[in-house]
Amino acid sequence: VHTQNHGLEYDGCNFFRQRLVLSTLSGKRVRIKNIRSKEDDPGLRDFEASFIRLLDKVTNGSRIEINQTGTVLFYQPGLLYGGAVEHDCNPQRSIGYYLEALLMLAPFMKTALKATLRGVTNDPIDPTVDLLKTTALPLMKKFGIDGAGFDLKVVKRGMAPGGGGEVLVTCPVRRTIKPVQLRDPGKIKRIRGVAYSVRVSPQMANRIVDSARSVLNQFLPDIYIYTDHMKGANSGKSPGFGLTLVAETLNGCFLSAEMSSTPQGQGDPVLPEDLGRNCAKLLLEEIYRGGCVDSSNQSLALLLMTLGQQDVSKVLLGPLSPYTIEFLRHIRDFFQIMFKIEVQKPLEDERKGGDKVLMTCVGVGYSNINKTLK
Amino acid sequence: MDGKVKKQQKRHQQKHSGPKAEKKKLKKQEGSNEEDERKRNPKAFAVQSAVRMAKTFHRAQDIKAKKHHIPLVDRTPLEPPPVVIVVVGPPKVGKSTLIRCLIKNFTRQKLGDICGPVTIVSGKKRRLTFIECNNDINTMIDLAKVADLVLMLIDASFGFEMETFEFLNICQVHGFPRIMGVLTHLDAFKNNKTQRKTKKNLKHRFWTEVYQGAKLFYLSGMVYGEYQTQEVKNLGRFISVMKFRPLVWQTSHPYVLADRMEDLTDPEKVRTDPKCDRTVSLYGYLRGTYLKNKGQVHIPGVGDFQVSDVNCLPDPCPLPDVQKKRGLNEKERLLYAPMAGVGGVVYDKDAVYIDLPASHVKQQEEEVRPTTELVQSLIDTHATLDAKMAASKVSLFSGSATLDSTDEEGLHEQRVWDPKIQRERRKVVFTEEKEDDDNSGSSDEDDDSEEVEESGGEEEQEVDENPDEDALSTFLKEARSQCNEKERGGAPPVKKQKLEEEIAEVPVFADSDDELEKRDSGHCSEEEEEEDEEDKNMSNIYISSISFGFFFSGIYIFTLSTGALCWKEGLQQKASEAFLRQQQAAPNLRKMVYGSVVAADDSEEEEEEELGGLFRVSRPQKSKKTQANALDCSHFKADLSHNWDLEEMLNSIRDCFVTGKWEEGQDAATLLKEDEELYGDFEDLETGQVHKSHSGRQDEGEVEDEEVQKNKRLEKKRRLKERFDSEYDDGEATYFDDLKEEMQKQAELNRAEFEDMDDETRVQYEGYRPGMYVRIEVPSVPCEFVSNFDPHYPVILGGLGSSEGNVGYLQMRLKKHRWHDRILKTRDPLILSLGWRRFQTIPLYHIEDHNGRHRLLKYTPQHMHCGASIWGPITPQGTGFLAVQSVTGTKTNFRIAATGVVLDLDKSVTIVKKLKLVGYPYKIFKNTCFIKGMFNTVLEVAKFEGASIRTVSGVRGQIKKALSTPAGAYRATFEDRLLMSDIVFLRSWYPVVVPQLYNPVTSLLLPVGQKDSWAGMRTVGQLKHDLGIRNKPNTDSLYKPVVRTQRRFNPLHIPKELQKALPFKSKPKQQQSRGKTPRDLQRPGVIREPHERKVIALLQALSTINNYKKKKAHTVQHSKHKEFLQQKTKQEEAKSKRQKELRKKLYRAMDQKDQKRSRSSLKGAPQES
Repeated sequence: VHTQNHGLEYDGCNFFRQRLVLSTLSGKRVRIKNIRSKEDDPGLRDFEASFIRLLDKVTNGSRIEINQTGTVLFYQPGLLYGGAVEHDCNPQRSIGYYLEALLMLAPFMKTALKATLRGVTNDPIDPTVDLLKTTALPLMKKFGIDGAGFDLKVVKRGMAPGGGGEVLVTCPVRRTIKPVQLRDPGKIKRIRGVAYSVRVSPQMANRIVDSARSVLNQFLPDIYIYTDHMKGANSGKSPGFGLTLVAETLNGCFLSAEMSSTPQGQGDPVLPEDLGRNCAKLLLEEIYRGGCVDSSNQSLALLLMTLGQQDVSKVLLGPLSPYTIEFLRHIRDFFQIMFKIEVQKPLEDERKGGDKVLMTCVGVGYSNINKTLK
Repeated sequence: MDGKVKKQQKRHQQKHSGPKAEKKKLKKQEGSNEEDERKRNPKAFAVQSAVRMAKTFHRAQDIKAKKHHIPLVDRTPLEPPPVVIVVVGPPKVGKSTLIRCLIKNFTRQKLGDICGPVTIVSGKKRRLTFIECNNDINTMIDLAKVADLVLMLIDASFGFEMETFEFLNICQVHGFPRIMGVLTHLDAFKNNKTQRKTKKNLKHRFWTEVYQGAKLFYLSGMVYGEYQTQEVKNLGRFISVMKFRPLVWQTSHPYVLADRMEDLTDPEKVRTDPKCDRTVSLYGYLRGTYLKNKGQVHIPGVGDFQVSDVNCLPDPCPLPDVQKKRGLNEKERLLYAPMAGVGGVVYDKDAVYIDLPASHVKQQEEEVRPTTELVQSLIDTHATLDAKMAASKVSLFSGSATLDSTDEEGLHEQRVWDPKIQRERRKVVFTEEKEDDDNSGSSDEDDDSEEVEESGGEEEQEVDENPDEDALSTFLKEARSQCNEKERGGAPPVKKQKLEEEIAEVPVFADSDDELEKRDSGHCSEEEEEEDEEDKNMSNIYISSISFGFFFSGIYIFTLSTGALCWKEGLQQKASEAFLRQQQAAPNLRKMVYGSVVAADDSEEEEEEELGGLFRVSRPQKSKKTQANALDCSHFKADLSHNWDLEEMLNSIRDCFVTGKWEEGQDAATLLKEDEELYGDFEDLETGQVHKSHSGRQDEGEVEDEEVQKNKRLEKKRRLKERFDSEYDDGEATYFDDLKEEMQKQAELNRAEFEDMDDETRVQYEGYRPGMYVRIEVPSVPCEFVSNFDPHYPVILGGLGSSEGNVGYLQMRLKKHRWHDRILKTRDPLILSLGWRRFQTIPLYHIEDHNGRHRLLKYTPQHMHCGASIWGPITPQGTGFLAVQSVTGTKTNFRIAATGVVLDLDKSVTIVKKLKLVGYPYKIFKNTCFIKGMFNTVLEVAKFEGASIRTVSGVRGQIKKALSTPAGAYRATFEDRLLMSDIVFLRSWYPVVVPQLYNPVTSLLLPVGQKDSWAGMRTVGQLKHDLGIRNKPNTDSLYKPVVRTQRRFNPLHIPKELQKALPFKSKPKQQQSRGKTPRDLQRPGVIREPHERKVIALLQALSTINNYKKKKAHTVQHSKHKEFLQQKTKQEEAKSKRQKELRKKLYRAMDQKDQKRSRSSLKGAPQES
């Protein structure tokens, strides 16, 4: 009876979350073929299935079809519903994997989101919940998503591979997103961080702090790294430790780096001193890359720019990560938005790290179609 | 004249001495006047009443706040599209005549038949598009959505007609455009007085409908079949200075009012299958907001379509160049109306005649013109593709990299490539057509041309990508040409074939003849050359360039490439190469990101290597495939080449910290210095020392650059001004002002950002700007659109936002229009106009209860809002809609049935209707009952355990547990004992499903002349009427005479024991009525003698007289007694009065006595006693 848009098709399971999230936001259906079709163990993995289940929980009326082998996925998005959601994330990936996507969807729900996610809070692969808390939330605040109900709380900490952590995310609903002009990150005024340890000696955290400070003190005196040792029921199922560092600039931009110990029984164990030093170096690397948004949140910033009103938004980024580049292509597919990408080379006598990229776009004028009008 | 004659007045002489001057001086010294007055007359300035003051203050603030509108970012384009003026009115009111007159007024041209939009240039900054709206409600609805100004023609001799009000209501729902009334047929009035009266009446009615003071024009009479020139001129002036308000729907959606339509379908295809779907191109000015290529559009009256291509054409009706003169010259008074036969295109019954105008030819030229570099490269091609394929093995790794091709062009080419443009068209385009054709021809012959083409191209690219140092510059050209040729010749057929298979695919963006794409496509073929180590190097380098200057940032791919460690060889060399590449790649980041991703839609087969054309090498994971299936992770791995232990590395980020060096303008030292400069020279009053700023000394010593000095001064000035501004505004600046300023800044930024960019690039970033003249290609349009095309009906392309193409449940607030004469019934189909669309759907009406429950209503309330839920297109909340019951013909009554607004969108609905389940007790214990007849199975009962139930008489209870027999019976408890005659019921809510009917009104597809006869689904009532079906009424619902049976009660029975105990009064009376006395006991009547009778009669007469006398005497006696009583009371009163006075006297005397006594007792010893 009526012609519907034909939707998009992709190959392979990479950038799985991007495709589903953008599909949900744009209302375009998506078909993903050849998911690990040539591998010994074809089809969707458990963590991807868990992600789909989470998506199903926050939406209403989505249609998900997976073939027998799990190599083809068809997704017709429903409307974002939100509300209180509880989800047991698969411990193959950390909560950060799920949370990254959830944060992209959270402001566009029908009712304010209040999600409890259980699983691995910290692992070396994905951005940890601490990192997202310290960088993604302030970033979203710049786009007008703020208020009392905007929070991310680490209730329990669970290291890979056992998990057992718990995170509480609450996010208010917005009808429109503000355009932003983030062209100047400003200078870094302070460095903060969290050194966490569970089911190991609490001394580990102190050792991490000392070594990280030794590197960072060359630049700035205002460094404070909190130690967070969780015990008992709040400590999850596996031992481990790690460090998250955040550099805050005068203009309220956050650059961060993190490192976790290798999961129990996988690879060589690391010394906390090495971890601290390496993490500090990663932070320096991140600062070298620079920009107003740190490298793991580039895609979130670009998405919110795209979904802004029909005005020009600008954001200065460090070099684009491969993930972000693919995200830009996906944005073009789903929203027909192209970014103007200008490379800013550092001046000769300037000592501010590497090349930067100024991303400019005109928003699509997206309005939250899920929110109820009273 | 006056001034000259008047003599010079003597000037006022100010006194400098004397008493008057003294007085003045004194006054001046005293200070401000106001202050003085406040002191002198404080009462006048005092607060008289706090309440009154608060009231006046509130009122002032209210008035101030009323003037505020929510500030919006001004997104109007610099060169706005023509203003759409819709001329509306009932038939024969003079619409065409008015348009003709206005066009003649503006352009001095006469237009015969007005069909389709007519665009004219009316002034230096304004263009107008006139369009006539006929009497069809479909047209009225469509045009109300795109109108900027509505000229509403009213026949004054007749008065208002329904259409006028209908159109006004349509406008109100879809955002209110400017409306101007025009009264015609004023010459029909014979009498001047009635004319004036009618004018006044009409004006006031018009004002109540639009707004008080809405402009109403009078066209008084016709001269030679036209309106009077002066009146038309005045109307034209009003139109050309009118300001328009931005309407929400219009400013948030792109739309095109098509003024030209072309059928692009292959004539051969049409010949073989006249009913085949057509490809159509529509032309028109883009309005509203930015239009994205490949977006979705809705054509009201036809349906939803995916745009296949959008082009921007030169303006056929451009505004005059900016010149300093007052009016337009004749040349600039352009007129463009292709549908009416002006401006190049004439529509006939079955053909379109085009006399090629300048604009059209220009567009073709643009497509044809290749960039010089491209032509050059094509000319350089000497060998055919086949030859190169054969030779490719040899030259595989000796070719040099052509990665530095920096040609910026490519959009023309891309457009040429676009497979949806006809092949014939493309043939015309290229001068090297022959070669091109040969290529494609040869490949077409081949069975699997795709693969051959692809692999051939890929191999060539290996050549390009080979990073060997001994790159021969002579090779470079050839390689590039090969590459270009591959893209010229090879890719298009591939694309086309693919397109036939699947319509929706990843759109190809950006320049195809661009180095990065080459890399991309090269990359996808890497696996074929697995055995070569060189290849691996190449892939690494490719990856490094992808990750923008970080050699190892693509680590994850490294780890996935084969385990051989040979790639480690020559690491340093590769690093340096990568660095070089990075230098080149940096400006091309855009192309790197958006460069066409051909690899993405390669089918599996293409990637498999062919061996001798028979066998295919099946390899498990290769780089491209693995990339597609790689780990989905947003982490950007660090660049390991940076050693953060080195001092120079650390130094490279020194300035990122507050401890580092600050910029010139923000450094604390410079800021201080600047402050000093601003307030530099000052004199210390105490010491008398004069401080000079440093800048003074400097210019003595060295002669500084003039420019620098000037800049500095300007900067200083700006700073001062800024400071002053901020200080000055601080007092007044409100939140509103801040908001306005912010919006202003954003608008400026929006304007400035892409200003100096050429249109082709700009269009990619922004989309097509409103104001552009665009050509939109729409594929798979039903053939009826073309075959039944009627230029009198407007064709509108309304852009749809993201997810507005989907359907779902809509919850709306609806109110039946008060002029519609009947209420609406749930489940009766209704035609809605919502967003761009008109569609038929089945609404369910409901109302929200206090607890948030949506209860189904059978009919809409008479004068109240109610909810309505439909299955329809997803449309943003807050969008208005209107409903009509039918779009066919014109009925006499008001056609708009309801209006409302969208509240909520969802994929499910929660409407419920009340359901009462009834059961009957079959066994009653004390408060417990067994009830049957409510449910059918035990399972059903189990679902309702604990539910509250009630009897008709109001006894409440609860369902306890199901009984095994009979099925569906259950045990329930009540608050009181039930009777067997009681009826028990359970009140429950049953969810209702909204029927999924979404039927777009396809009125434009109907044959010419019948476009207003679209008929959709009929209501049940209509169906029954048409088919002559009459429902048998439910016999229970019929009215019958009420028959009541006499109720008999049993006598009260009191036990004997009780009777004994009762007091006599309450004892049941045992005596029965005696009944009739038997005849033997009856006494006989007495019969008197005549004499006796006489005696009795006499006695009776005497006694009557006696009685009378007695009575008379009694009354006399009574009145006498009354008189006596009156007298007595009078005496009594007099007596009591007398006594009272006596008593008074006595008491006074006593009192006096008492006083005297007491006084004397105070004085001294008692004298009396």
